[in-house]
Amino acid sequence: MEKRVYVGEGVSRIDALGKVRGEAKYASDLKLPGMFYGKILYSAHPRALIRKIDIESARTLDGVKRIITARDIAGTNLFGYDIHHRPVLVGVGEETRFVGDAIALVVSETLEIAADAIKKIKVEYDVLPPLASAKDSISAGEYQVHTGTGKSVYQSNPEAKGNICYQTRLIHGDVVRAFGKSEVVVENTYTTSRQEHAYLETEAGIAFVDGQGILHILSAIQDPYVLLEDVSYALGIPKSRIHIKGITAGGAFGGKMHNTIQVHLAAMAYLSRVPVKLVLDRYESFIAHPKRHSQEIWIKIGSARDGSIEAIEADIIADAGPYSSRTPEVLGLTVSAIVGPYSIPNAKVVGRAAYTNNVDADAFRGFGAPQAALAREGILDKLARALEMNPLALRKKNFLKPGEKTIAPLRGDSPVSLDLLSNRIAERMGPWPVSKTGNLRVGRAVCFDMPVFDVSAIPVLGKSGVGTAVELFSDASATVYAGGCELGQGVTTVLAQIVAEELGIAIENVRVEMSDTWTCPPAGRTSASRLTYVLGNSLILATGKIADTLLERAAKMLEINKDDLVLERGRIAVKGSPSRNLGLSEVAKACSNDGINLRQEGWFKYPEPRLMYGHTFMASAADVSVDVDTGEMRVLKLVNVHDSGKVINPVMAKGQQLGGSVQALGFVLTEDFVVADGRVKTSSLAEYAIPTSLDIPDEFSGESIETPYPTGPYGAKGMAEHSLNTTAPAVLNAICNAIDRDITVIPVYPEHILEAVRHEKKIERKGANYGRTV
Amino acid sequence: MSLHQIRLIVNGREYLLHVSSDRSLLDVIREDLELTGTKRGCDKGDCAACTVLVNGDPINSCLLLAVQADGKEITTIEGVAQGENLNPVQEAFIKHGAVQCGYCTPGMILTSIAFLRRNVNPSREEIQRAISGNLCRCTGYVQIIDAVESVAHARQKGFSS
Repeated sequence: MEKRVYVGEGVSRIDALGKVRGEAKYASDLKLPGMFYGKILYSAHPRALIRKIDIESARTLDGVKRIITARDIAGTNLFGYDIHHRPVLVGVGEETRFVGDAIALVVSETLEIAADAIKKIKVEYDVLPPLASAKDSISAGEYQVHTGTGKSVYQSNPEAKGNICYQTRLIHGDVVRAFGKSEVVVENTYTTSRQEHAYLETEAGIAFVDGQGILHILSAIQDPYVLLEDVSYALGIPKSRIHIKGITAGGAFGGKMHNTIQVHLAAMAYLSRVPVKLVLDRYESFIAHPKRHSQEIWIKIGSARDGSIEAIEADIIADAGPYSSRTPEVLGLTVSAIVGPYSIPNAKVVGRAAYTNNVDADAFRGFGAPQAALAREGILDKLARALEMNPLALRKKNFLKPGEKTIAPLRGDSPVSLDLLSNRIAERMGPWPVSKTGNLRVGRAVCFDMPVFDVSAIPVLGKSGVGTAVELFSDASATVYAGGCELGQGVTTVLAQIVAEELGIAIENVRVEMSDTWTCPPAGRTSASRLTYVLGNSLILATGKIADTLLERAAKMLEINKDDLVLERGRIAVKGSPSRNLGLSEVAKACSNDGINLRQEGWFKYPEPRLMYGHTFMASAADVSVDVDTGEMRVLKLVNVHDSGKVINPVMAKGQQLGGSVQALGFVLTEDFVVADGRVKTSSLAEYAIPTSLDIPDEFSGESIETPYPTGPYGAKGMAEHSLNTTAPAVLNAICNAIDRDITVIPVYPEHILEAVRHEKKIERKGANYGRTV
Repeated sequence: MSLHQIRLIVNGREYLLHVSSDRSLLDVIREDLELTGTKRGCDKGDCAACTVLVNGDPINSCLLLAVQADGKEITTIEGVAQGENLNPVQEAFIKHGAVQCGYCTPGMILTSIAFLRRNVNPSREEIQRAISGNLCRCTGYVQIIDAVESVAHARQKGFSS
């Protein structure tokens, strides 16, 4: 096989030049002639009945173009993924459900005027007691957060009713019998915090209505198709009259899958008929967009004396916040991921998500699987301690074997490579560190996971049709049209690499247009690490058709059989006599002159039925040092190894591994989005502490082993989302290992460690964790 | 708010501006000068996405009032390259994969440039400390540190040869 030129190389990002020069345009950088500024009035209370909205003194302010309230919305005034039950604006006589519910929109000449106008809108509320915990919600009496508006695609689940947003289970074998014969049984209850995405770019967008009455929305988004649905449904505009363009995103991590501002922005521009810019400030972003679900996971595991796992049982309660969104999918993934990369003969896992008046919860990198990994890997280490067995040996004993299928409902067909991973990670970690010096204790842990990536099976409303288009111009430069979104993860570059490789042209001559509902074939959402796989495969189909056309035309020009020709390195040559060849641009030009189509679409669909996914096998290991006098800890060493199949761009893949791993360090050690009685207590990046450059481990690495995935483009799998999953359990378990105590809450603060050390018992949440609500 | 006339030298060009006393340097750079490469991440000095150089020092431009910058020389990300020629730090950021979403990138690059002017031969730890005020949510910082270190190493080589 000819050596590849671009695939497998650490090609520089094709969008990096604009970004290092400050020329890349994010939504907040755009300015249109005659542009106005929007601002949203959010509810002053997590739960309140709105008695009256008086806009008079705001409306008459100089420079105010329009004030919009619920009664101005011509459509349903409802939107939302899964169930359309989220009001664009909460109106008089209705109840707010959280502090991020919007009540009024202001469009004005300047941002300062908009801020003044917001203050002058007088809302009379009947303040009502909020439901501030998922557990209370489940047992709630009369108050139901929703009273049955909207129809869920999940409503086939009869147990989703009242304040239960979603309930699902995984039952396999007979856990009662299996626990009965287990020689060792341990259990714990793990509690995870809400995690805030903290992308550096807050939600921002521009919208305008053009001379033909078409509504254009430009914003950083993760799902143009759901946005199209949301705007159309809420505002009553036909989809054909809406154009959505996802533009340069300053980070997303799942948080921009939810349309936090775009429907409001669309209402502003559509109703006031002027171009509008809307940018949330950091506080507004914090209260308005959904977080990672806070979960409480009770988990029990039983094994034989030799460590063979007999059964797992788990009960999961998740705080869904006020609206459904992707909660059913996230909880479904937590339930599915509880069993992990292990051979588990008996399992019973029940998951429930309940509505509350807390901040909303939705997608965040890992999509429910990081919570499952934390509980599963935690209880495995506890089991190892009870068995007095090496925790890595315990895991190896129970790994899925090559060819063996998981019992999880989200099945997968990737070659199992857990032994390769465990060997590599053991090599990287070397001998066990000295475990005790003075007041310092050193601990180690190794954790595994097999997160899923979508192979075009996401079972949602037919939104997962995956197409791309490629146009080859007469000068042999090419444009790619792909409906996925560039969020910073680098997909634009990966797609350019693939097209340059397939057509044998220079990557500099490939332009990639993404995330445009007018020009790109539908491609579904940007989540589940799916774009490299699904867009890559569909691009290979599209470029294959173009190559075929070129070969046919070249065959005529060279008066030779098409099968005797080969396309490589920008030329079409006769096999065996490479000097007889034509430049690609010569052939492309001939096609163009003859009116032969060189724009092709590729449509990819995985042959297997729904609920088939790929698995990325992964492992992380951590060494930590804990000061038992002060509770302070430090991550000395953190090693991440992924098997994500063929790596298309090693430099960018490493960036995903390390970046995801550091987000997980925040998840396990510092990040706690505190909400008390429905009110946000961490209102800035000073109070909500994401990791800085000083928080990365002394030794820190990310690397790949490459077991080709047979149906992946060049053998590639998805990987970007996954890198978060195993870091948090590795660090938590290493701390527990160092102090030989259980800690079951994250983030782990020094006071938790001290309490565990001093009281020699499991730590329960209290005091400072009042905001934790499950 | 009172209006003030101020003089800024931004990327070598002189601007005479009338600004109200409550506006930050960031507001003026982004809105009046339309130099949108300087990013607003928090508007309260927590993230440093808005870093610019003021007389050579990296400053959170959201925390400096425009009137306080009167008479000062300011470098924004747009003034870092010389025409088509990138600053070595910009080149290193591209090469080492130090850019993902790019929102922290302008501030990171300016902080790094100022740091490397003062520290000819920095350790990795010194680099980590230098950029510790600039938040990045994508990269995990390692490739940014690699990029900055590579520029320092290249200079060392340049000096010693």
